[in-house]
Amino acid sequence: MATPLQLGFQDAASPGMEELVHFHDHALMVVYLISSFVLYIIVTLVMTKLTNKHAHDSQEIEIIWTILPAIILIVVALPSLRILYLMDEINNPHLTVKAFGHQWYWSYEYTDYDDLAFDSYMTPTQDLIPGQFRLLEVDHRMVIPTESPIRVLITAEDVLHSWAVPALGIKMDAVPGRLNQTTFMTSRPGIYYGQCSEICGANHSFMPIAVEAVPLTHFEDWSTSMQQTV
Amino acid sequence: MTEEKDSDERKSFKLLGILDVGRIPCAREAVLHGAGGALVAGLGHFLLTSRVKRSFDVGMAGYIVTTLGSWVYCRYNNAKLRIQQRVIQDALQNKVLYEGTNRDPSKKLNGSSSGAPD
Repeated sequence: MATPLQLGFQDAASPGMEELVHFHDHALMVVYLISSFVLYIIVTLVMTKLTNKHAHDSQEIEIIWTILPAIILIVVALPSLRILYLMDEINNPHLTVKAFGHQWYWSYEYTDYDDLAFDSYMTPTQDLIPGQFRLLEVDHRMVIPTESPIRVLITAEDVLHSWAVPALGIKMDAVPGRLNQTTFMTSRPGIYYGQCSEICGANHSFMPIAVEAVPLTHFEDWSTSMQQTV
Repeated sequence: MTEEKDSDERKSFKLLGILDVGRIPCAREAVLHGAGGALVAGLGHFLLTSRVKRSFDVGMAGYIVTTLGSWVYCRYNNAKLRIQQRVIQDALQNKVLYEGTNRDPSKKLNGSSSGAPD
């Protein structure tokens, strides 16, 4: 989860998010170099004693400041396109979970299993126990096995919502009447939090997402106990 | 224990307030190489031509080129290493899954044709 005053990304918990973080580092280095160059030019301009009121054109500098930005764009665009197509790869999911957005909670269905579906409401602040996170905890988390490709089908029952988990590098709109698909894989066990990312009414800020990644044996125990409960 | 914890918690140091050279892999090395390249290029140009302003310009160009070159080289090697790590990890997982079955890769290498499936 995010910590107070955090500016950067959360630690990556999926290979997709790792790739996004690496691309971001690359783009940031390019931005840093351009910023350094601009800062240098500004300082030089301010401190120079040279003036030329009669300059009309300069073919050399025109060529430089046409070719150089094109090269910079290629240096940024090639890794960007690579990761764009990487994110769209279909990787034979082991499990499919359906996430439904409601006003103002999420519900999950595991249709690979018989009769496994539940609602996921935010835990009210007054009901939190010490150590739990305000506005992020839910009564029933979406549990998934680690190291397994998971397909999530996302839709909404009423208005637009958005299912987002930053640590996994996922954000997908929940649109009524439309089924959006995303796939991911968690590299390590843990609980990953997200929040609804499309304005959906009064309690838009109070319908979080909590994904709990557990080893496969624990997941099977959980699914069995949930089916018996439901 | 303490030493391991210290090495894991790298200090954050942001250049121009954006580039965290403490935490981003290859960033610190790239910037240091860039500084060295800038020094060599700028100083070398000055020693050859005695032109101060132009030498600063050459130094700046040297900084950008060296930093970018070092960054691309280090990140490329870093990416190759990560891919190799993933391939090895997959191979280890598959070895455990398929050991003793027809799909065991080590059986194919030994030229064994028969094997009871699991």
